[in-house]
Amino acid sequence: MEVRLNYTDIQGNILAHSVEFGFFKARYLFFSINKVDNGRAFVRQLLPLITSAAVWLSEENTRATAVTTNVAFTYNGLKQLGLPVLSLQSFPDEFIVGMRGRRTILGDDGRSDPECWDKVWHEDIHVFVSIEAREDQALEQRYAQILAMAAEIGEIHLLDGHRTAVDGVTLPYQQASVLYEKGIPTAKEHFGYSDGISNPFFEGMPDDLGNVMGGGKKVRYGDPEQPSTWAPLQTGEFILGYQDEAQEYPVAPTPPLLAKNGSFMAYSKFHEYVGRFNAYLDTCGAVFPGGKEALAAKFVGRWRNGAPLTSFPNEADANAIALKRQLALAAINTAKTTDELVNARAAFKEINKKFTAFDYSKDIEGSRCPVGAHTRRANPRGSLEFGQDKAFNTPSALDDRRRMIRRGLPYGIAPDPASNNGDHGTIVMSICASIKRQFEFVFQQWLNYGNDFKLANDKDPILGNHDELNGVPQGRMVVQGDQDTAPYFLSQIPRFIETRGGDYFFIPSLTALNSIGEGIVDPT
Amino acid sequence: MPNLSGNAYGLTVLCPLVAESGLVSPSIETRKVLQALPDTQDSFDGRCNSPMAAVPNTYLARFFLLEDAFFQGYPNQYDQLRSSYLVFVAEVHAGSEAALTDYLKTMYAAIPDDIHRIWQYCIDFDQVTSADAFEKYIRRCQVNTTFYFNGSTDAPLAEQLKSLYLKQEFSRFVYSHQGLKPEALLTAYRAFAERVKPFDVQAPTWKPGISSEKHIVTA
Repeated sequence: MEVRLNYTDIQGNILAHSVEFGFFKARYLFFSINKVDNGRAFVRQLLPLITSAAVWLSEENTRATAVTTNVAFTYNGLKQLGLPVLSLQSFPDEFIVGMRGRRTILGDDGRSDPECWDKVWHEDIHVFVSIEAREDQALEQRYAQILAMAAEIGEIHLLDGHRTAVDGVTLPYQQASVLYEKGIPTAKEHFGYSDGISNPFFEGMPDDLGNVMGGGKKVRYGDPEQPSTWAPLQTGEFILGYQDEAQEYPVAPTPPLLAKNGSFMAYSKFHEYVGRFNAYLDTCGAVFPGGKEALAAKFVGRWRNGAPLTSFPNEADANAIALKRQLALAAINTAKTTDELVNARAAFKEINKKFTAFDYSKDIEGSRCPVGAHTRRANPRGSLEFGQDKAFNTPSALDDRRRMIRRGLPYGIAPDPASNNGDHGTIVMSICASIKRQFEFVFQQWLNYGNDFKLANDKDPILGNHDELNGVPQGRMVVQGDQDTAPYFLSQIPRFIETRGGDYFFIPSLTALNSIGEGIVDPT
Repeated sequence: MPNLSGNAYGLTVLCPLVAESGLVSPSIETRKVLQALPDTQDSFDGRCNSPMAAVPNTYLARFFLLEDAFFQGYPNQYDQLRSSYLVFVAEVHAGSEAALTDYLKTMYAAIPDDIHRIWQYCIDFDQVTSADAFEKYIRRCQVNTTFYFNGSTDAPLAEQLKSLYLKQEFSRFVYSHQGLKPEALLTAYRAFAERVKPFDVQAPTWKPGISSEKHIVTA
């Protein structure tokens, strides 16, 4: 059934990724609150600045927005804001414990251990504020405005301690931005992959903000470019207060008005070891059939230009479709009239289908996209039936409850491709109704383990927390072959990613924000 | 028989809010209006506490927003309301449908500005420009129920307020005159009766909507 969403009540970062609207810069702030009354005053004053999802529904409103602001709270933050005990106790355990306490489940050990995280993550973080803008100036203005607000209220502290590329120098905010190539913004992260291509599509989401093909759930086999083989996911997988894939309301805090139209978010700062990654690609790519780029594609399941390996096993085809997509995207950015814009968007959507509307039903064995490739692990697209039709109610029954909305941007720059120093990576914000069932499960079972994919204890090649034994990295990956090609075994994969911070946040609706700010949350 | 219990009328009204348009949320805006209504004795500002206190014969009134229907879980049908609703429930002294008509018209006459502020995001409410139109609007949105509030009788409000006032004053009298000789007690009681005027419902008595002694209506 069609779900009616109150877009004006849902925070904008849940429904859309602002970078797709040209918001290329971001700044993430973390505050601690000393006194309840001051904290509430801060929330009340932030409220008029909060960007609701309604902003992304019309060209006019999107254009009129120069800067976005969104807010979320840790458990300690909600406590500090004086939420009643009954409400506090009703939050899910993993949210109460926080990311640091769940490090074993997430695999944050060794250099990823919370003890090694940026200094700011050793503070008592209460409030998260994100600012996103098209231009630096708007970003700076909003930042100054919020700081002035906090200073005037008093007892609200912006927390310092975000590591930078310079040893010992920290910033009081996390800066993030798309990466530029010759001054042109790209969708790439530091390893050179086009990132953030696929996001879930759920009931109530306007068609303009996503695509059911690839974004939805796989309901039957057949051509993945036919909409009838997909259906939107249930809203309750991403937004509290709506039916989820179990046909229930998601577990949510009480009272319902506090939860409805809200969600949870796991914020992660992932440093990328560019030097290690390039060295591995160079060394193994030199002998890998197809070469370095093919190896990079096998790691992730997409070519670095974003084309999915399962549909485009050939590099030349992948490059051709990626170029078409790039030109279609450029046409959107250079459109002068509304007609041009509408046409350019439609043309892009058609080409982008090739990047999102696919599944692995013709590639069950993984001869094109390895079963253990990063994107296939994170979103198996119905392939966990392993070709046994009707093993479950629908092909994707095992992955419909593990989907997440992905937000965030790269941070820092990696000027030396051979260096492992500095501070650059990706801020990943995973938004979902259940941090435990979605975010934690995916990290524990699918990225840092391989059993569900019949891959024993192999980990995700890129995100896996590969161990080291006597100085030798222990990461392994099987690149499946086909009838004519033997499988290829990659070994000694080092950790390419290191967690440098993060926590769990609750993203309230605008109604709930008002209740929190006014101190009128009433769970009785 | 729905709605009526003696002279008490249980009024239940669900007024649909207009759909969201652009960045304005009718729900959030309506909540702001409701939240700003005075709800404590401290906010007493010369006029009655709640605007509904200025509407004669209102025993109790409540406004809230109904955003959606609750889903009880599989295998029930998941269903959503087509819009959010402003819910207005009141128990009033009106012993018939005709009396309720009068009540609603009187309500509009008493607090037109408050009514327009509270109902401003309801569908078609901008067409309500008179007491008659208000009464018709409310009737269109009325749901027949047997929802009554406990704790009040079906006597006119003034009588109920007077009774509450008398009960409070009389208990004070009892506490402060224990152990008096019958003659002294009688004298004191006569003075008490003279002061509280049991048969005068106008004064002294409680003001509608509030129960603090500060706001007792004196003669």
